[in-house]
Amino acid sequence: MSWTNVKLIFLRELRDQLRDRRTLFTIAVLPMLLYPLLGMSFLQVQQFLRENASKVRVVGSEYLPHDPELVVDGQISPDLGDTKQRELLELTVEQAEGQSAEAIRTAAEQSIRAGDYDAVIYFPPDFAERLGQFRSRLPESEPETVSAEEVPQPVILLDTAREKSKVAGLRVEEILRRWRERIVEENLRVREVPVAAARPFEVVSTDLSEDSRRRAAIWSKILPFILMVWALTGAFYPAIDLCAGEKERGTLETLLSSPAQRSEIVWGKLLTVATFSMATALLNLAITTGMATFVVTRLDQMGGLPVNVGRPPIMALFWLVLALPPIAALFSALSLAIAAFARSSKEGQYYLMPLLMFSLPLMMLPMLPATELDLGFSLIPITGLILLLRTLIEGQYLEALRYALPVIGVTAVCCLLAIRWAVDQFNNESVLFRESERLDLGLWLRHLVRDRLDTPTAGEALLCGVLLLVIRFFSNFAIPQPQTWPEVVTTTLILQIALIATPACVMAIMLTRKPLVTLSLVRPSFGMTVPAAAALAICLHPAMHWLDMAIRTLYPIHPSVVEQLEKFSLSVRTEPLWQVILLVGLAPAICEELAFRGFILSGLRRMGHKWGAIVLTSVFFGLAHGLLQQSLATAIIGTVIGYVVVKTGSLWPGMLYHFCHNSLSVLQSRITPDVVESWPILKAIFVPAEGGEGFVYSIPATVVLISAGVGIALWLKSLPYHRSAEERLQEALDHQVPLASVRG
Amino acid sequence: MIHVRQLTKSYADLRRGQFVALAGISFDAVPGEIYGLLGPNGAGKTSALRILSTVLRPTSGQATVNGYDVLTQPSLVRHQIGFVSTNTAVYDRMTAWEMVEYFGRLYGLSPEPLRERMEQIFDRLQMREIRDLLGAKMSTGMKQKVSIARALVHDPPVLIFDEATAGLDVLVARALLKTVGQLRDQGKCIIFSTHIMREVERLCDRVAIMHRGHILAEGTLAELRDRYHESDFEELFFALISQHDGESSRAASYMAAL
Repeated sequence: MSWTNVKLIFLRELRDQLRDRRTLFTIAVLPMLLYPLLGMSFLQVQQFLRENASKVRVVGSEYLPHDPELVVDGQISPDLGDTKQRELLELTVEQAEGQSAEAIRTAAEQSIRAGDYDAVIYFPPDFAERLGQFRSRLPESEPETVSAEEVPQPVILLDTAREKSKVAGLRVEEILRRWRERIVEENLRVREVPVAAARPFEVVSTDLSEDSRRRAAIWSKILPFILMVWALTGAFYPAIDLCAGEKERGTLETLLSSPAQRSEIVWGKLLTVATFSMATALLNLAITTGMATFVVTRLDQMGGLPVNVGRPPIMALFWLVLALPPIAALFSALSLAIAAFARSSKEGQYYLMPLLMFSLPLMMLPMLPATELDLGFSLIPITGLILLLRTLIEGQYLEALRYALPVIGVTAVCCLLAIRWAVDQFNNESVLFRESERLDLGLWLRHLVRDRLDTPTAGEALLCGVLLLVIRFFSNFAIPQPQTWPEVVTTTLILQIALIATPACVMAIMLTRKPLVTLSLVRPSFGMTVPAAAALAICLHPAMHWLDMAIRTLYPIHPSVVEQLEKFSLSVRTEPLWQVILLVGLAPAICEELAFRGFILSGLRRMGHKWGAIVLTSVFFGLAHGLLQQSLATAIIGTVIGYVVVKTGSLWPGMLYHFCHNSLSVLQSRITPDVVESWPILKAIFVPAEGGEGFVYSIPATVVLISAGVGIALWLKSLPYHRSAEERLQEALDHQVPLASVRG
Repeated sequence: MIHVRQLTKSYADLRRGQFVALAGISFDAVPGEIYGLLGPNGAGKTSALRILSTVLRPTSGQATVNGYDVLTQPSLVRHQIGFVSTNTAVYDRMTAWEMVEYFGRLYGLSPEPLRERMEQIFDRLQMREIRDLLGAKMSTGMKQKVSIARALVHDPPVLIFDEATAGLDVLVARALLKTVGQLRDQGKCIIFSTHIMREVERLCDRVAIMHRGHILAEGTLAELRDRYHESDFEELFFALISQHDGESSRAASYMAAL
C-alpha cells in the first residue's frame, strides 16, 4: 500500500467535502447556531418559571385565625417566607359569605380552567373559632383525648394537569406547612411544653464527596455520550457522500480505474471520514461544555441550582480527546462499509437507522444505574470504552488500568474488523455494482441451494456462528442445570451433538457441494503433523493453564458461579476416568471442531485472510463457552487449533489437539499426593498448588514444555500449506511488483 | 499488447441463476491499431472493458495488458491503460486542472514533469478556457474532454474508450473521433466500443461484432465484407445478429423438446 496515494486521496476528499456547503453547514454551522439557541431558550424558560408569580385565590378570609396571621395586607405574612417567596404568590383574598363548600369548589374549578387563578385555598366556616377552642382546651385535657379531627381542614384546589397550577400548589403547600409549624409552636407554648420537644432530633445528611468529584460524577455520565453520538453522526454523512454519493455521480468507477489500490482508496476515505467525525465531536463537545458552563453560571447567579453541576473538569476533556481517535476510526469504518453498500445517497440515509439501532443501546447501557466497569462490560464494544472513560474522568485510575487492556483490545479488534470489512466491501464487485433485485425469500433460499459452492461463503459461515450462539443462549433456559452425573452426561451430549455438531453438519450438506472438504475431513497434507498436533497440545498445556489462572485472578469469577462449577469439577475428579475422558475430552473435540474449525473456518477463509478467519472463528468459539473468564482462554486455544488446521489442511490434527488439551486438564485435576507418589516422574512436572488444593505445573517444566511447543509451532510454520483460491488471489495482489521497479 | 483468452463473466442472479455476460471471448489488439467492439446494448462490451480496466474480475479465462495479468496484477495493469467510459464521470467540486493533476499524481508522476505534460494536453485538447471551471459547471462535451485528459495524463500505451461518444453532439463527437485517430497514429493500442456503425467504419482497423456475450465475427472491415458477401456494413451486422438469435432460439426449442 502506498501512503502517498492514501495522502493524495485523503487531501482530495477533504477538499471535496469542505467545498460542499451542506456538509459544512451540518457539521460546523448548525451546532454553532443550535447550541446557543438551545441554551438561551433554556435560560428563558428557567427565568420564566422562576419569576412568574402564581395567582392564588383565598376564600373564607373571615374564618382565618389572627394568631399567628397567614395573610397581612393581602400578602402572605412576612413571618412565613422571604420577600421573594411571598412575591411569588399573588393573593386575591375574599370572604366566603356563606357560600357552600360545593359552590366554592365549582367556582374554583371554572376559574382555574379559565386561567384566572392557578390555585384556590378555601378555609371552612368556623376554622379560626374551632382552632381557638382546640387550643384553649389543651392545658386541661388528657393527652390521649386530644384529637385534631374536630378542627375542619382547609382545602387547596388545583388542576395538576396544568404545570402552572402544580407549581402554585407546591408554593402554597410550603407556606401553609410553615404556618402550621407556627401554630404548633403556639399550641406547645400554651401547654408550656418546650418547642424542642416536638423535634427531639434533626437528621443531618453530609455528603462526603468533594465538590470536584461530585461534578466529575455528573459530567462523566453526560460527556462520553455526547462525544459518541456526535462522532457517529459526524462520520455517517460524509461516508454516505464519499461512497453512495460517488456511485450516484459516477466518479467511483473513475477512481477504481486509477492506479490507486482498493485499500488505498478505503484508507484515504476512512481518514477523511474520521477527520470529520473527530472535528464534529470536538466542535460539539466544545460548544456543549461552553454553553453548559455559561448556563450553569447564569443559573447560579439567578439563585442557585438544585444540584451543583459546575463546569466540566479539564481532565475529563483530556481523556475524551484521547479516546476520540479510536472511536472515530470505529464509527468511520462502520459507516464506510455500510455506505459502500448503498446505491444512492437516499438509500444510504436509510442505513443510518440500523447503525443507530446497533450502537445507541451500547451507548445507553453505561447510563443505566449501577452499571460499573467490570470484565463483562469491558468486553462489550463502545459500552466498555464509555465506562472506561467514565472511570478515568472520576479519577479511579487503578480501576481503569485493570480493565484498560480488555477495553483497548476489544476496541482495536473491532476497529480492525470494521476497516477490513470496509476494504472487502470495496473489493466486492457485487456490492459496488449492485443492482436492485426483488425481495423474494423463496427465490433466495432456492438460490442458496442451487448455486451452492464447494465450500461455504463467508456470509454462511458467519450465519452458522451466530446461529450456534443463539441456540446456546436459548438452550440455557430450556435445559435445566444438571444435578447428578447421568444428568451431566445427557446434558453435555445433547449440547455437543444436537446443538453444536448437527447444525454445522446440516449446513455443510445443504449449502455446499463438498461437505467433507468443507468440514476438512480429509487426510492431512503431512502424516507427521498428526503426532505433532498432540505433542503441541501437551507442550502448550502449561501455558494455557497459567493463562487461565491469570485471567481468573485478574477478573475473579462470582462466588455463586464458582459454587456451581465446583459441582461439575467434583464429578470430573471423582467419576470413572474413562467416562470423564469420553465426555469432556472426546465429545467436544469432535463436535466443536466440526462446527468451528470445520464449517465456520472453511467459510471465513473465503475472505482471503488466513489470520482474520482464524481469529474470527476463535471469537465465536470463545463466546460459545458462556462464562466470560473461560471464553478468553478458550478463544486463545481456538486460535492455536485454527492455525494447526489451516497448516495441516485437515480437521483430524485439530480434533486430536482439542482432545489432548481437554484430557490433560481432566488428568491434572485428578492428581493427588498418592498419584504423585506412585508416578515419580510427575514430581518433576507438578508441584502442589500454593494455598489451594491440587497440583500445578512447576516453573522449570513450564519453561521446558513451552520452548518445545514453540519449536513444534515453528516447524509447522515452515510447512507449505493449501491456500484457498481467495487467499492465493490476495497473496498475489499483496505481492504485486511496485511500479518503480517495473519502470526502472 | 492486449491478449484476451476464453474470458467469461457471469453474475449470480436470483431468478435466472447464473447470468452469463461474457461467454468465453478471445481477441488480441496490437499497438498502432484501433480495435472496435461493436454490438447492441447488453452484448457484453462494457463487462469486457471493465475487466480490462480491472474494475471487474473475470469469472474465468485470462486477459493480459502489456504483459500484466488483470486478475493478479491489477495495479500494474491500471498503469498501462487510460479508461474513458460513460460510467467514468468527472468530479463536480474540482476544476479541470485539479482533476487531471490529481490523477497524474495518483499515477506517480512528479510535480514538474506532470505540469509540463498537463500544459501539452490542455493545449492539444483546447481546454485552456475550462482550466479553472468546476466540474459541476461544465457541459457534457467539456466533461468528456476532461475525461480524455485524465486518461492521457500518464501517457499510457493502451487506451480504452467505452461508448465514449454517447450523449455528445455531432461537433464534439467528431472532435473526439479525430483525437482517437491521432492517438492511434502515435502508436497507442486502442479499444473502442460502440453501437454506432459509422464510427466503426470511420475509425476502426479491426472489429469484433459482439452479441449476448459472444464474438460473432472478427476481422478488418474488408475481411468481414468479403467473408459475408455484404458491402453494407449495417446489413452485415443485422444479418449476423438475426442469424445468432435464430440459432439460439432453435437450440432452445430443441433442448425444450428433449
